This record gives sequence, structure tokens and C-alpha cells, in this order.
Amino acid sequence: MPVIEAVGLTKTYRVFQKQPGLRGAFAGLFWREYKEVRAVEDVTFSIEPGEMVAFLGPNGAGKTTTLKMLSGLIYPTRGTATVLGFTPWERPDAFRRRFSLVMGQKNQLWWDLPAADSFQLHREIYSLPRDRFERTLGQLTEMFGVEKLTRQPVRELSLGERMKMELIASLLHEPQLLLLDEPTIGLDVVAQGTIQRCLREYNQARGTTMLLTSHYMRDVEALCNRVLVIAHGRLFYDGPLSGIIERFGSTKLIRLQFEFEPVPADLDRYGAVKRTGPVAELNVERAQISEVLAAILDRYAVVDVSVQDPPLDQVIARVFEASRPEEAAHVPG
Amino acid sequence: MSLADAAAPPGGFWTTLHKYVNIYRVSLIERLAYRSDFLLGTVLRFLPLLTTILLWQAIYDSARAGSDPADGPKAFGSGAVTFTMDQMIAYLLLVHISRMFSSMPGLAVGVARSIRSGDLKRYLIQPLDMIGYLLAYRAAHKTAYIATSFIPYAVLFILCAGFFDTVPDGPTFVLYIVALLLSFLIGFLFELTIGMVGFWFLEITSFLFVVNTVNFFVSGHLFPLDLLPPFWAWLFKLLPFQYLAYFPAAVFLGKVPYDELAQGVLIQFAWVVGLYVLSRWLYARGLRRYSAYGG
Amino acid sequence: MLRYLRLLGAFGRFTLANELAFRGNFLLKVLVEVLWLFILLIFYQTIFTYTQHVAGWGPHEYLFFIGCYYMLEGLIETFFLENCTEFAELVRTGNLDAILLQPCDEQFLITCRKIDWSTAPKLLLGGGICVYALAGMGWVFNPFQIVAFFVLLACGTALAYSFLVVLTASAVWMTRNSSLMELWWLFTTIMRYPRQIYEGRWGNILLVLFWYLLPVLLVVNVPAAFLAKQAFDWGNIAWLLAATAVMLYVSRRFFYFALGAYRSASS
Repeated sequence: MPVIEAVGLTKTYRVFQKQPGLRGAFAGLFWREYKEVRAVEDVTFSIEPGEMVAFLGPNGAGKTTTLKMLSGLIYPTRGTATVLGFTPWERPDAFRRRFSLVMGQKNQLWWDLPAADSFQLHREIYSLPRDRFERTLGQLTEMFGVEKLTRQPVRELSLGERMKMELIASLLHEPQLLLLDEPTIGLDVVAQGTIQRCLREYNQARGTTMLLTSHYMRDVEALCNRVLVIAHGRLFYDGPLSGIIERFGSTKLIRLQFEFEPVPADLDRYGAVKRTGPVAELNVERAQISEVLAAILDRYAVVDVSVQDPPLDQVIARVFEASRPEEAAHVPG
Repeated sequence: MSLADAAAPPGGFWTTLHKYVNIYRVSLIERLAYRSDFLLGTVLRFLPLLTTILLWQAIYDSARAGSDPADGPKAFGSGAVTFTMDQMIAYLLLVHISRMFSSMPGLAVGVARSIRSGDLKRYLIQPLDMIGYLLAYRAAHKTAYIATSFIPYAVLFILCAGFFDTVPDGPTFVLYIVALLLSFLIGFLFELTIGMVGFWFLEITSFLFVVNTVNFFVSGHLFPLDLLPPFWAWLFKLLPFQYLAYFPAAVFLGKVPYDELAQGVLIQFAWVVGLYVLSRWLYARGLRRYSAYGG
Repeated sequence: MLRYLRLLGAFGRFTLANELAFRGNFLLKVLVEVLWLFILLIFYQTIFTYTQHVAGWGPHEYLFFIGCYYMLEGLIETFFLENCTEFAELVRTGNLDAILLQPCDEQFLITCRKIDWSTAPKLLLGGGICVYALAGMGWVFNPFQIVAFFVLLACGTALAYSFLVVLTASAVWMTRNSSLMELWWLFTTIMRYPRQIYEGRWGNILLVLFWYLLPVLLVVNVPAAFLAKQAFDWGNIAWLLAATAVMLYVSRRFFYFALGAYRSASS
């Protein structure tokens, strides 16, 4: 039975349009114009227990909105979802005890208390038995390497340390589902790596289903074998990471090392060129690769050549570019 | 370029003026954006006034109950300055006007916060003077506030005209307006000065609370200072706080003897100058300390 | 139920530990409260130099009223006010989401999260003033009256709390915090005087408004009159009990309605 089952999730909302200038400000006292924004449109997918899935998309794509709908924080405009057998936006008590949502830019811990106190409060709120709680807490603080920091007020911790505390708090009640919204945003590479490692370990040890949103490729590559690509509120792709390149990568990267510097100037007629010393990188449409290669090898002295997939970032960025929406409707109100 | 140079705006007088007028305009727009806040705040400002009037009427009625009606209307106060019930209510209404000019919500806290957050840097980098900027900003807010409160207050005063048995003559009225404008400056400079304490102490909100609590009473906001025993009334009138509420109201009601009127306004002006000098000095000292710590 | 009491205890423990970590600040805050009381008492003293009673309340009776009001303010400020004013900030930053995720009654979590220990002394000070006033009027100790008084005071507090909840909930639509505080302060300016001052044309309109429609006047008046003036007015007492029950229910419904609106508008 799937952990998450979402069918046709849609969320639209209205945004007040502010008119510029003094006259506009006065006008705003009496009459307001609204614009309708489609944050999420007709998103359908399902996730099985134990999976680690990524929501990938640019800022404003609808990832966070989708996640909030799955955690019951907001109601969808249309569509249904079943999470752990519950309808999330009804927010039953039993549901709330079984999952966690960690938001990278918001904090759940009490700001002026030490993390340890926050954890204790967490225990009280979730009614966790003491022994089991202490054991879990010990394991988690050890795994994340923050044993010595729990008595410091949360506001004194660095961003990375704070994030680890947030994650610990979210796992104290041993949830079946962990939702993460941009968990590594703003963190340095080392902290990112630690968190990725811990999440992977946790998933392998406990089989906790994890769904995380990110716009960092590194998170996705490190953690997830399945990716849902969302852009402008729509789901573009649902499948393994490697499949993205096959699906969307219409060009390949030819890397050429010439015998003589500089790289020939007329290389540009074959495609976009990037030059570094004797090396040139050429973006060429897949269909034309053999033709272009043959022409180049025929004309120039080439010492080394390789054909690669373009970096994932580039492919995805182009997907996002290609999916510009139509003009949203203006609704005066 | 020294810090003092960085803080002083370059260019001529008119460019500077233009700049501050622009700040004024932008602040005005910002204020108007919160419409529900506006309407609610204005309407509900009058309810406590009504309650206060009823309270004082009850107090005076109770006081009168025990005495001979032939004595005339009951008046509270000491010596030359007493307040009948009508005058008391008129006083409290006028204190509203004084406070409208002299209250500076959030100014001290804002200054302390911008010191703490490092926001102060922009006053060092941009050709902008913090005190001038804040003054323009506050003037804008006050204007918006007074302009939008004008009609409701006018209605209120017309309804309550019965409480006013005297109207000030020309020169007194002029001095009243002057006193109001000066009370704006005193209120501004006073809160500004407290905000500057933020250069030396991290947390000023509690200190501010203490000061404002004392201020509330000592400025005559609760009742005219003359109701207190003569020693205390005299003592509190020595402080600048009386100009924030008591003094303009007393001037309007003719409770300040004619010969002391001009003198009183002059002393008020002296306080403005004194506070200005103090705040400038604190600002300079504070900036020096601030940049010494690297912000 | 027990769980919530335990939670409340936990909230209290942790906020106290935190508060005491900033001892200087804590003491300053207590000082402010004492100063306010001082001002209240000076006002009281000044008035009573000019009159023997105020609207039928003699000096000791009025002093008791003040003590009562001060205790009530202390109860609201210690347990609820800070949390309620924070709510607008939670809505604005979206940190409210974190609270909504927890398996606990939302109204409880949001209104009782922190205990403001710096205003807790008001309870003792107010109580002290009440005792002093009772002694001054020669009140004879009667345990039943004391118990009844505390019940009425608790009802008054619950009634005031429910009004606060309604104001707090409205922060979902009015995201600027200052309105909430102004409105609450407005309520307290009504609560802090005896109902007998409301006479005359305007007075009676306000009386009807604040005794029957928005029964804020009940909060201090009924308990204070009960003990200080020995006013065993069963009509008023019944009205206080009924109003409290109704307002607690209405305010809770409204609060959850507001949470629903927050969640609909969220993105």
C-alpha cells in the first residue's frame, strides 16, 4: 500500500496587486486588484514505503506548496491525497504522530531554549515513553554528532548545527514518513554532506519513507533514486535520475583537445563553443553528433575527443526554461 | 574621509531638502498601505476617552454629594490652579492632542534595533544623516496620522464643546500651537536619545518600559499635575516630560498665568535645544564606539 | 486533561529557567510592573483626597477593586498575553505551520506556550492589596466567600481569556500586530472601573454594550463586588457564569475558523 497517493492536486490563490506611487496607495484604500496564481496544477504520483524521493524544481515551482498539502497544512483547491492512509488536511491526531515535516527556512525549535529543552517538550507533546525517548535521542545525537551542543540555546548555534537539531527533533517520535523542504539550503558543503549521510543511514536502518524538495542537484544525487520534476506547478517527469537526461537531454557535449592553440575560430558553426586553452567544449544536437564529429576530425588536428552527457543542472535548467506558463488571469476584486 | 564627513549629506540645501521630502513621501505611502489598521485605530481611540470622561464625572459627582451645592462647582487642584469637572475633561481631551504630537511609538526601539542589527551601517555609507532621516520619517507619520485623525477629532471636539468654558485668545493660541510643535520635537528627541543608549547597552526595551511608565505619570497624562500635593507638582514641572502632555493643554485652558506663558514656551524651547545637543553628542560618541567594534 | 496540565508544567519550567538566565532583564520587567502599580495607587490616593467615595465605592472597597483588577491583569499577562501577541508574528512568518504539525490541541499550544514569569508577581501584589483592603473594611473571614470569590475570579479570567482569543484569531486577517494590542488595551480600560460610573445617556449605552453584548464589564466587577461590597446578586453571578461558558465556546470555534482561513490562504 503506497505511503503517499496524490491524484490531481491543484492549488490556486489570489495575490493583491499594489499600484505604485502615492495615488495608487490612496486608490488601494478603496479598490484592490487581485491576480490569480496557480501554484500547483494537477499533480499526480504515488510513493511506496521505504522510498527516498526528490521533488526537484526551481524556486516557486510548487514544491513547497505540494509538500504542505501532503502534510495537511493547506487545503488543495482540487484533487485528493492519501498519506499513511489518512487525508492530510483533516489533520487527525494519529496522522500527526506518524510523520514529520522539516522546513529548511523555518524553525520548529524554541528559539531561546537549549535544544535539549525543546526535545523534552517534544517528548511531552508527543507523549513518548521516557526510556524509548532517551534511547532514540542518544542514537540521533550520536549519529549527527551534536552531543555536546544540546545544552546551548538554539539561537547560538550555527545554521548547520541548528538544522541537525531540527532533524533530530523531527525523528524523535520515529515517524514513518519524513518530509523535508530544502533541508540543506544555506549550509556549507560539509554540513550538507553530514546531513545527507545521516538521512541515508536512517532510511536504510529504519525504512522510513522520505520525500525531500530541493533545487540542489547534489542533494538529489546523494540521496534519491527517484525524482519528480516540478516546474510552474506542473509535474514534468517522474522516474529515475538517469532517465532525465535521456528524456530531456537533447544535446550532448563534445570535448575536443586540439594539437595546436588556439582553438579554431570557425568551430562556432557546429554549435555553442566554450574555449579553454587548447580545449573546446561543444554543445551539439544528438542527431548531428556523428556528422559533426566526422567533419571536425577531418578538418583539424585533434589529440583527444570524448562525447558526454551535459551536466544535469544544465538539462534541468533548460526544462524549466521551456515550460513557461501562459499569462495568468487578472481578477479585479 | 572621517566618519563625521560620511554622515553629513553632500550637495546643496535644496538637494538635501528634496531628499528628505522624498523620504517623507515614501513613508506616507507605507503608512497608508495598512488600511484596516488605520480605520480600527482611529475609531477605537475614542472609546477609552468616553470611559475616562464617565469616570471623572462619577468622581466629581461623588465629591459633590457630600458638600453644599451653594459652594459652586467642585474643583480639584491646589492653590491658583484648580480644575472643575468640565475643565478636567477638557484637559484630558487636550492631552490627547498633545500626545498626538509628542508620542513616538517604536522610535527608541527602532534606533536600538538598527544599531544592534548593523543596519546603522547604511547611515555611514549613504550620504544620509540618521537623525535627519528619522525626523523626516516621523514628521511624515505624524502628518498622516494627524491628517487622517483630523475629522474624527474635529467631530469629537464639536461634540464636547460643552466642556470648554473658555477659549484662548489670539496670542495664547499662537503660543499653544508653538508649544505643540515643540512638544513634537521634545518627544522625538527624547525617544531618540533613549534609542541611542543602544550604542552602549544591548537590550533597551526594559529600560524604555521603565522610562515610559514613569513618563506616563509625570507628563500629566493621567491627570493634571496640579492635583498632586504642591511639592510634587512643582518637582514634576521642572522636568521636560510635562511638555509632552500637561503644558500645551494647560496653556490652552488658560491655566498658565499670562506672565508665565511666554517664559514657559521659552523654557520648552530651551529643552528642545538641550535635548538636540545631547542627542547629537550621544550619536557622535556612539558612532565612534560602534565603528571601533566593527559593527 | 492530565497531559495538558503536565505540558503546562513543562512550559512553565522551561520558560522560568530561561527567564532566570537573564536575571537583570527579568528584574527590570518586575520593576515596571511595580511602577505601574505604584501609579495606580497614587491615582487612587489622589482621587480620594478630593472625595469620600467613587460611584458608591468607598476607599477600601475601591482599593479591593484595584487589587482584583491587578490580579486579573496578572493572570492574563502571565499565562496568555505574550503568546497571543506572538501569534500575529507566527502567522506572518509562517512559523505557525510548525505548531500546526504537532499532535496537540492548537488553541492550547498557541495560547499557553510560554509563561511570562515577570508578570507573575502581579498575582501576589494584587492579592496583597486585596487582603489589605479587606482588613481595612473590617471584613470577617468566611471560607465559603473566599472560595466563591476565587470561582468568580476564575470565571472572569476565563471570560477575559475568551475575548483575547477572539482578538488573537483575528490576527490571521489583520497581519499587523498593533491592532490586537490596542484592542486588548481597550478592553482593559473598560474592565478596570466599577460599573457604577456608567450612568447618564452615554453611560447607559456603554453599560448595555459592555455588560450584556460584549460583557467585558463582568470580568472584575462581579467578583470584586461580591466580596468587597458583599453583593450577593445571583442574577449577576448567573450571568457571569453563562457568559463565560458561551464565550469560551464561541471563541474556540472562531479560533479554529481563523486557523482554517490561514490554511486556505497559505501557499
